[in-house]
Amino acid sequence: MKTEITMPVLSDTMQTGRLTRWNKSVGDAVKKGEAVAEVETDKAILDVEAFSDGYLTGPLAAVDTDIPVRQVIGYIADAPEAAQTDTGSAETATPGTPPAPPSVPPGAVAEKKTTPPDKLPPAISTAAATPADSGFLEKPAPLPQPHVVAAQTPSVHGLPASPYARALARDLELDILQVKAGPDGTIHAAQVLAAALAPQDADLRMGPPYTIERPNILRAAVARNMSATLNTPAFLISSRFALAPLHAAAKAAGLSLTLALSRACALTVAEDPWFNHAWTQEGLAKRSRVDMGVAVDTGNGLITPVLRDAAKRPLKELAEDWRILLGKVKKGRIYPEDYQGASFYLSNLGVFPQIERFNAIVPVGASAILAVAAAGSDGLTDFTLSCDHRVIFGADAARFLQRLGKRMEDPSWLAGGEGQP
Amino acid sequence: MSEMFYWQALNRAMDAEMAADETVLTLGEDVGLYGGTYRVTEGLMAKYGEWRVRDTPISENSFTGLGVGAAMLGLRPVVEIMTINFALFAMDAIVNMAAKIPFMSGGQFPMPLTIRMPGGVAKQLGAQHSQRLEHMLMNVPGLRMAVPATPQDAYWQLRQAIRSDDPVIVLEHELLYFSKGGVDEMISAPPIHQALVRRQGRDITCVAYSRMLPLALQAAEALAAEGIELTVIDLRSLSPIDWDTCIAAVEQTHRCLIVEEDCRFAGAGAELAATLQEHCFYLLDAPIRRVAGMDIPTPFNGTLEAASIPQADDIVQAARQMMARNGAVR
Repeated sequence: MKTEITMPVLSDTMQTGRLTRWNKSVGDAVKKGEAVAEVETDKAILDVEAFSDGYLTGPLAAVDTDIPVRQVIGYIADAPEAAQTDTGSAETATPGTPPAPPSVPPGAVAEKKTTPPDKLPPAISTAAATPADSGFLEKPAPLPQPHVVAAQTPSVHGLPASPYARALARDLELDILQVKAGPDGTIHAAQVLAAALAPQDADLRMGPPYTIERPNILRAAVARNMSATLNTPAFLISSRFALAPLHAAAKAAGLSLTLALSRACALTVAEDPWFNHAWTQEGLAKRSRVDMGVAVDTGNGLITPVLRDAAKRPLKELAEDWRILLGKVKKGRIYPEDYQGASFYLSNLGVFPQIERFNAIVPVGASAILAVAAAGSDGLTDFTLSCDHRVIFGADAARFLQRLGKRMEDPSWLAGGEGQP
Repeated sequence: MSEMFYWQALNRAMDAEMAADETVLTLGEDVGLYGGTYRVTEGLMAKYGEWRVRDTPISENSFTGLGVGAAMLGLRPVVEIMTINFALFAMDAIVNMAAKIPFMSGGQFPMPLTIRMPGGVAKQLGAQHSQRLEHMLMNVPGLRMAVPATPQDAYWQLRQAIRSDDPVIVLEHELLYFSKGGVDEMISAPPIHQALVRRQGRDITCVAYSRMLPLALQAAEALAAEGIELTVIDLRSLSPIDWDTCIAAVEQTHRCLIVEEDCRFAGAGAELAATLQEHCFYLLDAPIRRVAGMDIPTPFNGTLEAASIPQADDIVQAARQMMARNGAVR
């Protein structure tokens, strides 16, 4: 008996994962809970664990491919003999097509896969006809495999496209050659619509020679998230305060500046509930806790670990959380629950002394993000707040910066490490 | 509106037409004293007498020919053939006479003939009693063919057939006679050939008729739970076919799945697929797909019999495969 290993689902928004390596080979014994493969998701590399004891068996999905969640990527057999029998590739394995389901005669399956429906014999006149040479084969018809679909679908310069997709592309004045096929190798209406709605790619044909490199999954996720903010009507508002008092107080309390800044922001947010609201289609999401997202440079992209309940929990506890989160970022083992769902964000580029001021983009789901630049020659630091104007108005933001400024200049609230105002 | 069996709806329709028009008569094997193999003529002989409700010998070509002659002379005969399998004996009367006389006589002889017969696969009746021969009759210009799937349509369409001056085959289904449904004798009927949308959906237009309709609706329910929405069309008539309704539905869903119990090869589904792609080619986002009976004589063995014709699960599978996109079932 074989049990399926499927692409895990790690967040509501995860649609595919990239299989980066198999830790075992076909035939190897595996223990329940053992990591058999590694998968790269939006922001992290994760282990795929075996759900039962047994032996790894194929078909195994190919590494370095993006695979839809819940799709079968391999199997665990309960006996070593069974594991050795199937070593093929699982590129076409889907949950709907486990290899040779036991209820169908193996011969019939094999025949189905090699005989397209339109090549069937025209008539069967006697009951003596066997399944192998008769219309028996057509019920149920085989699931279209990618290569079969490609062969049957009319093509546009070698690219298969459905008639509706082509008609739609024509009506939308879209060059169908620029439309990427779906994973089944065919352009359907969905792909044309997606291309029509997608931002236009730069036309690089007239410029310098180039090669296309697929972005790593983290960079692609950031690009996707940032594009999603396009519809956020944002405004910017800046102020300058001295950061040195807070820095000194943090040092005295044995805390990092990042944590002190996060606490200052969280306390300020807690004083004005509008900063803890998020705009949704249904209405304003009113949150009952301040979760602070803090931008971290991984060296290979941006990630925002979240300090939960940053206004109320003891600073020592938050400091420990922050240490764990940074460790996870460093190892590339950060989970969606670690970096999603903040209500307010902080982005500090103050370690770069030449950065006098900058703007940050309000992530979807937040009310605002605070950009902290480096201290200027006058000892003052530029704080720029980007706000979702559907939630925050200018005067709210001004008052926010006013309160934050006071907190910066008189950081007595930080003394003792508990930080209650 | 009252609930009744499909056979009862047909019986009501016969009764209503015989009461309304004394030129209406019925003839066939066992239609009189016995009341019809599926009870459709039950009680009619007692009410209308043996002249208008005539038992005949086992002689399909002869009594169908008698029906043709009676229609030529101005009567409105309703011929019952016990099953479509025996209609093969009557093909000369149906194809050469009933379908052609109005044409060959330049309209001088209308043909107000109704031929009722059950078809389809019932329960283990063997290959010679389980045929779906609608494709043969569809291929005869001059004939109309109604395929009611509900008691309401059985009632309406039989009455419309009897009133029609064209020869009309009313193709019933052996497994539908004891299906129940509401029949309102007061509301007005849609035209006999008009297809009806039985369910509105977003993703696939499923075209079905006769007993495949309840299966298609059952499949649509199961698919809706997975987020795949079927528009289900009940054709109601195989000759002529209401293309407008089918095309309008495909314009909305861009996918078309045809379900028929008849053999796949050269059947109604083949005609539907061919004509719909002529009209809808640029609207299709996937090839038109057919779920059909196998191209074999129907096996007697119950399991094999069931496997030889479409079941609701086959429709579900086909729809899932049509919607398979982005490497995964939507």
